[in-house]
Amino acid sequence: MKPAPFEYHAPDSAKEAVDLLAELGDGAKVIAGGQSLVPVLALRLAVFEHLIDIRRITALRGIEERGSSVWIGAGTTEAEIGHSDRVARHVPLLSRATPLIGHFQIRNRGTIGGSLAHADAAAEYPAVALALDATVEALSPRGQRTIPAAEFFTGIWATALAPDELLTGVSFPAAVNIPGGRQGFAIEEFARRPGDFAVAGAAVAAGLDPGGQVSASGIALFGLGPVALRAAAAEAGVLGRSVREIDPADVGRAAVADLDAVPSDLHGSAGYRKKLGAAMVARAWEKAVKEAASG
Amino acid sequence: MSAAPLPDTAAARYAGSRVRRVEDARLLTGAGTFVDDVTRPGMLHASFVRSPHPRARIARVDTAAALALPGVHAVFTADDLNGDVVEAWYTGTGSMVPDTPRPPLAAGEARFAGDIVALVVAGSRYLAEDAAELVDVGYEPLPAVADYAAARTAEALVHEGYAANLAGELAGAPAETIADAYTSAAHVVSETIWEQAQGAVPLETRGLVAEWSRGSRELTVWAGTQAPHEVRMFAARLLGIPEHSVRVITRDVGGGFGQKVVPMREDICVLLAARKLPAAVKWIEDRRENLMAAGTARHEHGTARLAFGADGTLRAASLDHVQDVGAYPTPWPVGTGAATPMIFPGPYRVSAGTFTHASVFSNTPGRVAYRGPWAFETLAREVTLDIAARRMGIDPAELRRRNLLRRDEMPYSSPTGMPYDHMDPLETLEQALAVLDYDAFRAEQAAARSRGRYLGVGISCYAEPTTPAFGVYATEGATIRIEPSGKVNVYVAGGSTGNSLETTAVQLAADALGADIADVHTIQGDTAVTPFGAGTGGSRSGSMIAGAVGVTAAELRDKLTKLAAHKLEASEADIELARSRAAVKGDPEAGVSFAELADIAYFQPYALPPGMSPGLEASARYAATGMGLWACATHVCTCEVDSMTGKVTLLRYVVGEDCGHMINPAVVEGQIAGGVVQGIGGALLEELAYDADGNPVATTFMDYLLPTATEVPLIEYAHVETAPGPEPGGYKGVGEGGAIGAPPAVVNAVADALAPFGVTITRLPLSPAVVAGLIDEAGGSQ
Amino acid sequence: MADVSIEVTVNGQLRRAVVEPRLTLADFLRERCQLTGTHLGCEHGVCGACTVLLDGQAVRGCLVFAVQADGGSVTTVEGIAAPDGTLSPVQQAFREHHGLQCGFCTPGFVTSVTAFLRDNPSPTDEEVRAALSGNLCRCTGYQGILAAVRAAADTTSAGTVNAGTNNAATTNQEAR
Repeated sequence: MKPAPFEYHAPDSAKEAVDLLAELGDGAKVIAGGQSLVPVLALRLAVFEHLIDIRRITALRGIEERGSSVWIGAGTTEAEIGHSDRVARHVPLLSRATPLIGHFQIRNRGTIGGSLAHADAAAEYPAVALALDATVEALSPRGQRTIPAAEFFTGIWATALAPDELLTGVSFPAAVNIPGGRQGFAIEEFARRPGDFAVAGAAVAAGLDPGGQVSASGIALFGLGPVALRAAAAEAGVLGRSVREIDPADVGRAAVADLDAVPSDLHGSAGYRKKLGAAMVARAWEKAVKEAASG
Repeated sequence: MSAAPLPDTAAARYAGSRVRRVEDARLLTGAGTFVDDVTRPGMLHASFVRSPHPRARIARVDTAAALALPGVHAVFTADDLNGDVVEAWYTGTGSMVPDTPRPPLAAGEARFAGDIVALVVAGSRYLAEDAAELVDVGYEPLPAVADYAAARTAEALVHEGYAANLAGELAGAPAETIADAYTSAAHVVSETIWEQAQGAVPLETRGLVAEWSRGSRELTVWAGTQAPHEVRMFAARLLGIPEHSVRVITRDVGGGFGQKVVPMREDICVLLAARKLPAAVKWIEDRRENLMAAGTARHEHGTARLAFGADGTLRAASLDHVQDVGAYPTPWPVGTGAATPMIFPGPYRVSAGTFTHASVFSNTPGRVAYRGPWAFETLAREVTLDIAARRMGIDPAELRRRNLLRRDEMPYSSPTGMPYDHMDPLETLEQALAVLDYDAFRAEQAAARSRGRYLGVGISCYAEPTTPAFGVYATEGATIRIEPSGKVNVYVAGGSTGNSLETTAVQLAADALGADIADVHTIQGDTAVTPFGAGTGGSRSGSMIAGAVGVTAAELRDKLTKLAAHKLEASEADIELARSRAAVKGDPEAGVSFAELADIAYFQPYALPPGMSPGLEASARYAATGMGLWACATHVCTCEVDSMTGKVTLLRYVVGEDCGHMINPAVVEGQIAGGVVQGIGGALLEELAYDADGNPVATTFMDYLLPTATEVPLIEYAHVETAPGPEPGGYKGVGEGGAIGAPPAVVNAVADALAPFGVTITRLPLSPAVVAGLIDEAGGSQ
Repeated sequence: MADVSIEVTVNGQLRRAVVEPRLTLADFLRERCQLTGTHLGCEHGVCGACTVLLDGQAVRGCLVFAVQADGGSVTTVEGIAAPDGTLSPVQQAFREHHGLQCGFCTPGFVTSVTAFLRDNPSPTDEEVRAALSGNLCRCTGYQGILAAVRAAADTTSAGTVNAGTNNAATTNQEAR
């Protein structure tokens, strides 16, 4: 199980990386931590003529407070995010999602940019990005642009990134900026074993106003479609209502009601996944609003 | 659990102690030698071209593009290799059995997805894989026999010449002969139990390095094997060269569990190819190959029919058994397959029983041995027993208590003719239940149910024939050499795959000679220097090595004693051997070290007693007196089931094992625990799954789920030593039992937890989705 | 495809090599450095047998290309014991608690546990199990491994073991 040959490039800047992408075309692939890409190469499920390693690009690493957001460089490892006090304070949902990713040895290499760009339907970070309305930054020879998370994930292992675009970072709104004044966050997933991809999972960000009305609701699902999904109907169903009147089980049911492309495999049928998904949403919602109410 | 310091007395015995393993120092520091660690000058690397189709006609194999790739040395097809086979039969099966087909490379037809079509040899494994992709095979897909259960009526045949896809059938007495036992019974419970395909999945995949010396016409093989001498005999027959022209070397093997017990088709191809290559060739299976093609196990079903008296007394136990043998079972599957229903009556007092057995081909890899190859009998019986207990309203522990055999009933002949002896089944149940505190658990379970939590307890009991002592397994040899320095070398065949055979040999030899364990070393796994032995299999190694070391050491001990008596001018009867010294009883100062005795034996022949030969070396073989050793056990497991997700969490796990006397309790417990966790994997996680067309869908560790540290409970042991084995030392085999007892214990615990839903479980594995589905089907709530 | 020159410090020794970009770090260690203690059990990042410390962090040797380790520092299982051969506290605990049988998965456990206990010297039992869940063992049923890690944690956190016997920890600190 050995990868096919490829040329290796390790540019020093994002600009160089993007120029290489543009020059080399479809045969080129960006590698960051490689924790999803290398198995694909080893199994020869995909072959690339060129790998562009972003490890030398120091500008792509780091966790910074930028205005009302926390910016995280694409090359920042999941371990760095998991250990960051800044992330724990301002983007607690991301902190809580991190231990659910693989195993600690994987998190030592895997990066947030890699996770978002790989866009696995069952991965945690894409769902967190959706639930929090994060903004993805991309650089191409045409310059920098930002892409709202809601527009970023487009299909099975597919994103809005153009072939010559490099994901450079992602910005998460700091928790205090979730409308309503009080916020709560939770992520729940069901996996066969710890560290496995989720069979079904949900990430929830909730805001409550002083009167206990739901002022913000971000509900994202993973493992329940071709890609991480926003449960728009469930979100709309809770917005503006008093949290006391909301049955978490109803939120769960609403979140999965309209799903039409739920995967079915060795680990569970579509029906089982929907049932699990509803339960994960309910659990996450309950935890998130409990935190918000106590905040 | 830690190694207890041994008492520093002349009477100290190492057997029975948690002696530290002699293997560990090298393995903990990365200094072991596994087959992939072997490098030879100019060594080449092999990779196989494998069929992507479950069944296809091979119209053509074009190797030109692969051969044109720089660094590629050869590409072999069936035309190049298959004709070179001289003989290809396994010693344990013999040459007279009508063995199932096993061509080296697929010729004409590929019979499973992963079947080997060509062998590429290149300067590196990377290059070999590049070239394998360039081999152009013209496949014409054919309808496959994907489901063995339907194979007997399928239109397609896996092998021409095997009508109805039957590899073989065997049966006991006609069912009519015991019909009375059923018609007169108060209760008859019949269930069909299905077990899914699983793999042995050693962490080290299969592999070998084969080097042919043209000048001397000798073959040297470095093999990851459980049986180095079997590899030698097989290779010699395969190539038609004398056995002494083949040397097999095996140091460390990363697990086998049955998968590495005999050479398989890939090994055969590499052995054949080696003779055509200018340098050694290495083949190391990768994990995808291991999950696609290293054989399947356990894929079978059976209809169990149990008859009971009104009080729950077992009157009859019969099993109609069908097993999937895939396309290329290895070795011949019918004899071992029939053992399954023959052992089915288990450790119970039951006078009537019979069986049928069918081995059925399918277009999947092929059945291979896996730890407790007949384990399905325990699953079928114990799961059906619990179903019967629920139907009869008898507690499952009580049902077993009424029917399990007692030690004082031995010997006992089962209705299928199994000659049980030296076994204490009831005691294993009582001890295991006591460790758990069964009654307390039932109270806890009731309290939990009232709070909407579903706890369960499962019991399983089995009787297991260990240490088969016939044919290739009948004898085991040892050579013990006290070197001129007085240090001891013990030579046994080996075949250790994690089962601590080096430590075992050292412990036993130190005791048998009265040597300090630090002075004893063992050499195993090299056929050039070790006596013949059949290797690891059939839970035989501990008992047979004990026998071999025992008879060999006795000769040497006799010589040491005579020599010391002569030197010390004492009576032989007064000589004691301990701590690598010979001393005179009652006069500990008067003694002579093994080093001094060795010096005399090697360098002062004039100082030997009259008539004594020089040197300190003995070789002998041990022949077991009976046909095997019966072990038995009770496993008790508790669990909680999340009724929403279907997830099973194991809480406690107790094994009461009638293991005979223990050579090393840490090794015994390690063997039991390893087997139990494989069994837990089989019950809850592992499935070598295929789609409806016969394509494998679990070819990576992301889909073939092994248990990890987070899925296993702490395992508690009740060692039952009340019925030691009849051979010297009173040892029994413990290698396989854990894997036999665990699946039904887990299944029964889950079924017990779900009893309020009225769920009946007859299929494995109990994945969360399956368990949730069972609850849904039962109406979703109690 | 162009080969690449790399420099990697392996167990304290600088290694220079020209490698194919596709050569994994695990194969580099095994084939080019003759350090065969790093084992390949799955080559797709699940089993953990190939775990090594790269710049102090436990990583899968099969999921890193050697070219990506250029300029880095690697500790393999061969570099865990003291130079005089004294086993590290983790190795010692595995030996005393029957934490290995066939020994194939063992190097990955030793390196992983060494890094884990360095970063979390007083783990709960639950944390121990979670930390071990990225390494597969098919022989022991994890019983001896769990006992060994508990014992190693209790020993090291009690400060009774000579820190000098732990090469890997030293390397890590330097690398930070």
